[in-house]
Amino acid sequence: MQITINGKSLEAKKGQNVLQVAIANGIYIPHLCYHEKVGAAGKCRACVVEIEGMRGLQTSCSVPVREDMVVETKADTVLQAQRLVVDLMLSSGKHDCLSCEQSGHCELQDAAYYLGIERPTCQYGDINREVDETSEFIKIDRNKCISCGRCVAACNNTVVNQVLDFGYRGHDTEIVFNTDKKMAESTCVQCGECSQICPVGAIIDKHAIGLGRLWELDKVETVCPYCGVGCKLNLHIDRKSNKIVKVSGVEGSPTNDGMLCVKGRYGFDFVGHEDRLTTPLIKEDGQFREASWEEAIELVASKFTSIRDEYGADTIMALASAKVTNEENYTFQKLIRTGIGTNNIDHCARL
Amino acid sequence: MIDQSMIDKITELKAKYPKKESALMPALMLAQKANSNNLSEEDMEKVAALVGVTSGKAFGVATYYSMYNAVKNVGKYHLQVDTNIPATLMGALKIVDYLEKKLGIKEGETTKDGLFTLSTVECLGSCGTCPVVQVNDVYYENMTTEKLDSLISSLQEGVMPVKEVNYNFGTECNVLLKNRGLENSTSIDTYIQTGGYKALEKAMAMEPQAITNEVRNSAIRGRGGAGFPAGVKWGFLPKNTGKPIYLICNADEGEPGTFKDRQIMEYDPHLLVEGMIISAKAIDSNLGFIYIRGEFEWIADILEKAIEEAKVNNKMSDIDIIVHRGAGAYVCGEETALIESIEGKRGQPRMKPPFPAVEGLYGCPTIVNNVETLASVPFIIDKGAEAFKAFGYENNTGFKLFGISGAVNKPGVYEYPMGISFNKLIEAAGGVKGNLKAAIVGGLSVPILKPEELNNLNMDYDSCIKHGTGLGSGGIMVISDEFSIPELALRTIQFYAHESCGKCAPCKEGSHTIVMILKKLLAGHGTIKDIAKLEEIVNTINNVGSTLCPTGQAFAMPIKAMIEKFRDEFTRLIK
Ligand SMILES: Cc1cc2nc3c(=O)[nH]c(=O)nc-3n(C[C@H](O)[C@H](O)[C@H](O)COP(=O)(O)O)c2cc1C
Ligand code: SF4
Ligand code: SF4
Ligand code: SF4
Ligand code: FES
Repeated sequence: MQITINGKSLEAKKGQNVLQVAIANGIYIPHLCYHEKVGAAGKCRACVVEIEGMRGLQTSCSVPVREDMVVETKADTVLQAQRLVVDLMLSSGKHDCLSCEQSGHCELQDAAYYLGIERPTCQYGDINREVDETSEFIKIDRNKCISCGRCVAACNNTVVNQVLDFGYRGHDTEIVFNTDKKMAESTCVQCGECSQICPVGAIIDKHAIGLGRLWELDKVETVCPYCGVGCKLNLHIDRKSNKIVKVSGVEGSPTNDGMLCVKGRYGFDFVGHEDRLTTPLIKEDGQFREASWEEAIELVASKFTSIRDEYGADTIMALASAKVTNEENYTFQKLIRTGIGTNNIDHCARL
Repeated sequence: MIDQSMIDKITELKAKYPKKESALMPALMLAQKANSNNLSEEDMEKVAALVGVTSGKAFGVATYYSMYNAVKNVGKYHLQVDTNIPATLMGALKIVDYLEKKLGIKEGETTKDGLFTLSTVECLGSCGTCPVVQVNDVYYENMTTEKLDSLISSLQEGVMPVKEVNYNFGTECNVLLKNRGLENSTSIDTYIQTGGYKALEKAMAMEPQAITNEVRNSAIRGRGGAGFPAGVKWGFLPKNTGKPIYLICNADEGEPGTFKDRQIMEYDPHLLVEGMIISAKAIDSNLGFIYIRGEFEWIADILEKAIEEAKVNNKMSDIDIIVHRGAGAYVCGEETALIESIEGKRGQPRMKPPFPAVEGLYGCPTIVNNVETLASVPFIIDKGAEAFKAFGYENNTGFKLFGISGAVNKPGVYEYPMGISFNKLIEAAGGVKGNLKAAIVGGLSVPILKPEELNNLNMDYDSCIKHGTGLGSGGIMVISDEFSIPELALRTIQFYAHESCGKCAPCKEGSHTIVMILKKLLAGHGTIKDIAKLEEIVNTINNVGSTLCPTGQAFAMPIKAMIEKFRDEFTRLIK
């Protein structure tokens, strides 16, 4: 079907909402609670638009498209309502963009930029909410939370860990872990889904703090090395120091739709760890010594050959690793089946 | 302590509702009562596990509703003084002062011996008998400093005194308050003797559609505040969905200045029960709910007793009614928030559409009507739509309860036909005490009116709109010249900020910001820019109306009117 947004006729599909059509066509409407994955919540009221024939402003995230619908996203009343919402959010939190980790990919900042808000104008009191740094991988700064509810919906409905919820009421509303426990003392499994979906800097990956703005980092899409699910993830890499700064799940990926587990998201320090082997080691008289690849491979080949010849191929068993690629796993099993001649091959992802 | 008998009770509660999660609120309240009125974290976790919800859900509910003492600790006697607008107009602040001095504590504190906690609370639905002090579950009304002395000394001896009840009321129509003055007015025998349950008998012989038609023809508009025609609403129910249909009676009575529904429930509960049985038949519902504000604990007991009596007397062969107690949340009067609350959640409004008639309680078609609306149904069926229309006039038909509080000599509830003049009502309420400065005539959420605007005002939907206000719930608050409007504006917005459910940003932060601006102005630190900011916020919320539920406009409208009509008083605050 066709709908009109700001005078432009656009293609839309039944079941879509107005916001989705706008996004698909490069029309920006501020939206701070809606996210594809958790759906419409109607909470932030930043996405309001005018729709011909409907009384008052409508939240574009929740109104389904209709044939020939006429939408206006830049009417004065629309911008006035959006400005109030964004101004109130900026005013009621500590949004210190200069030092905020989220700066540059913060959706509240984007909305303020779009609306031309230079500074908050409704600041009438102190803001002193709790910062929770108890957990290993995630920092919670409630001073920046805009109560959009994405994290709560994600924790309960997407990853179904059911840890986060809203507690208290009105202006005092806070996200809480279980019965308002510290994050580290709660049943949180540190999957980081909440961190990935938070539009502002209220839930931050702790180990990435201060290591670089997201836009300065290279993004490399790859597959998680840990297990057989094969979640798609992005490595955010600082090329200058050749370090992985942060990992995020790839939204829309058929395997994991952006979700990751604690290992995939936060367990990447092994990559550059100083304890990692850089050359093969051979143990002689209880002591390891460095060796060349040729020497090491030679040694393993000769030992395996002699074991096979003496005791038979089925005395050998091989275990493949999830940390290498499918192709490598394939060649590995080929080696074991045809080179050594046994079917005793398994993979750690089955354990 | 959650012992075996409580576990059994919680199991029973789970079985009582169509969905077990609905047991959460009553179960938390049981746990709190068994633990000297405090809700411990351990009990919250246990109750969550017993009901089958996450501990986060239990905590979210326990800290949403103000009657749970989850993060605060209260003493043996929790003294809760209503200081909302009607109460303030009737001297509640003096009561708070007196108690603070007498107990040697500030509001929000507990005495060292753990005996008393003093709190100020929002409107208790007892505006005609303010000042009110609620001690734990019990309302002590019409309080004076002398009465406080004897109350406190009795409590110090461990005795909750018997409460005195002394209400003003009057009726010209003799329908909703017909049994109001009778002895034993709550018993089914009294009710039947005065002609009760005759309408039900008639309705049992009617087709459901015929009942709906009669109600539609009466043109009765919902008495909860929005004034939507009841018969039309019933007609929105989809046919043959295969899902059960629920009828909910909205007895939240939360709008400050409103204390009318309780007159029916407290003194003539069978009128409501009969109205619900007939209405349920009309909409083909087998299960009804009465959602009653939690503070009305004793009235909930009266209703449960009446339902039991009706069952014993074979009046309820096709329907059951569950009385569900709220726990302190104004927004739960909004119908979708109310539904969430029955479902055991934080009482926050839902996005509409879908409307409750299509997808309401437990996702099923649901009709929500106010107590007074439903209690008018027996008359409409018994005497007919025409008899109903004989009261009032076109588009504003029927009899109506008006609650009058504030600066009048006989505050109380009065039953008059729609369209009664404001002046006549005030006369019924004993006349203005002092000099009339202004009045708010439809509950706190409507714009304030000045004396000249009140002069030829009639109390009905259309006349109120013509005068730039709304009939709302019919709660009239009379303001004398003793009171400053900016101070009342601050107290008004404090109410909304306290009650904002926090779901949507403009209401959650807007109400709070207005509180801070008004505090700054009243402290003498304000500037013209602050007044401009204040107006910008209320104008945007009022004119563009971008909040999720009507609460945003419910505070923007009255604050806007106060500033516009009494601008001098605001600008005078600027030094
Ligand atoms: C914030 C808010 C509070 C409300 N409080 C009440 C209330 O306490 N009692 C009531 O009957 N209706 C209340 N309403 C209106 C209800 O949403 C609903 O319209 C009404 O119960 C429908 O019944 P009626 O059509 O019979 O009036 C409130 C509405 C809002 C927005
Ligand atoms: S890290 Fe995962 S489990 Fe923990 S709160 Fe966030 S979404 Fe829930
Ligand atoms: S922490 Fe982030 S995602 Fe969660 S409610 Fe706050 S702003 Fe939204
Ligand atoms: S306007 Fe928004 S925050 Fe206020 S009560 Fe309604 S839903 Fe809640
Ligand atoms: S994105 Fe629509 S209300 Fe938040």
